[in-house]
Amino acid sequence: MTVFYAFAIYLAIGLVSAIAFVAVGAQQVTHSSLTMGARIVLLPAATLLWPYVLGRWLKSRSIP
Amino acid sequence: MSVGFRAVQWNRDKLIYDGILLVAIAIYTSVFAAISWQLFPPKNIPDAIDIGIQTSGTCAFLMISIILSIGPLSRLNRRFLPLLYNRRHFGVLAFTVAALHVGFLLSWYIVQGNLPNLAVELTTWKDYAKFIGFPFKVFGIAAFLIFFVMAATSHDFWLMFLTPRAWKAIHMAIYVAYGLVVMHVALGSMQDKAQSPFVPLLLVGGFGSVVVLHLMAGWREWGVDKGIAVNSEGWIVVGVPDSIPDKGARIVVAPGGERIAVFRDGNQIGALTNLCAHQQGPLGEGRIIDGCVTCPWHGYQYRLSDGCAPAPFTEKLTTYRIRLSHGLVEVDPRPLAPGTPAAITYP
Repeated sequence: MTVFYAFAIYLAIGLVSAIAFVAVGAQQVTHSSLTMGARIVLLPAATLLWPYVLGRWLKSRSIP
Repeated sequence: MSVGFRAVQWNRDKLIYDGILLVAIAIYTSVFAAISWQLFPPKNIPDAIDIGIQTSGTCAFLMISIILSIGPLSRLNRRFLPLLYNRRHFGVLAFTVAALHVGFLLSWYIVQGNLPNLAVELTTWKDYAKFIGFPFKVFGIAAFLIFFVMAATSHDFWLMFLTPRAWKAIHMAIYVAYGLVVMHVALGSMQDKAQSPFVPLLLVGGFGSVVVLHLMAGWREWGVDKGIAVNSEGWIVVGVPDSIPDKGARIVVAPGGERIAVFRDGNQIGALTNLCAHQQGPLGEGRIIDGCVTCPWHGYQYRLSDGCAPAPFTEKLTTYRIRLSHGLVEVDPRPLAPGTPAAITYP
């Protein structure tokens, strides 16, 4: 059960950071436009891969 | 990759492709479920759900086997290339059918009020030492998680964000997932009380086809690679210009294993990496259309002269120096920076 709870916490944090990423970050890391539909489609992967996604997002913000 | 990202990049051809897939899935599942219902009439709700489990499971297995066969089939015969064009939608649909399979499985436990038994099955460690009795569902769960990651990252945005190389590496995990699925189906079939011969036949046919087609395509490429000559300066000898088909390419292999596509457009010859910047498709199996090298997978285009995609796209491919020596085309296998002009014209 510990593994299950740990995974649930991982996904919960991932969902919060994924919402922030698709709302704001996704546009900052690409020069292309993103429709609302595309942002919704990005949510599952942004939730699953949130440590990497957050890292890349923060890195892109630090580059002037 | 694109000047803008939409939820799904549909066009007329993709809609037809997806429509045919949906009809095929509907026909397969209806026929399978109807025959199963006749042969093994359900006595209760769990039995009926069990037919749903088998129907969706075999459908997903068949779809994944076909998806894995499309690549080698297209290498062996170009007539199969249209199947490759929208393989990504095929994959997402296969994941959806697999998700349906998981849904049926969970409902099978829920209607009997024993969902915790699933956790017990998966955590009865002594069963992992058995062959018949091994908790085969663990293979299915692992495969499903891999398919989930693949389906979730299938959008072109992730191809750009993760970089094509990393994206390709993630999506090559389909072979690991397929291996897990084969073990899941094989063990599940052995533990099935109904002992239907269809599932073992499907397993052997599907897995066998995937293996044989990959071996055939690999054997053919190995034969081509074997015949490549390198001169004393380390340049690869391709052959006389006419040995390269007009508006087409010959693929050569650099000593490090990198594949180089040598294209000819009339009297212009250029060498580019064989990997498309989009999904690492085999550029050398494409054609020159409207003056641009065109990837056979999804139609991404690059100028032969410098490997750059025409505006407004910004992708650049690695190019290679090329020369004509004693009437033979030769390629320097040392790569140039992406977008470096390197093509030559000959009289």
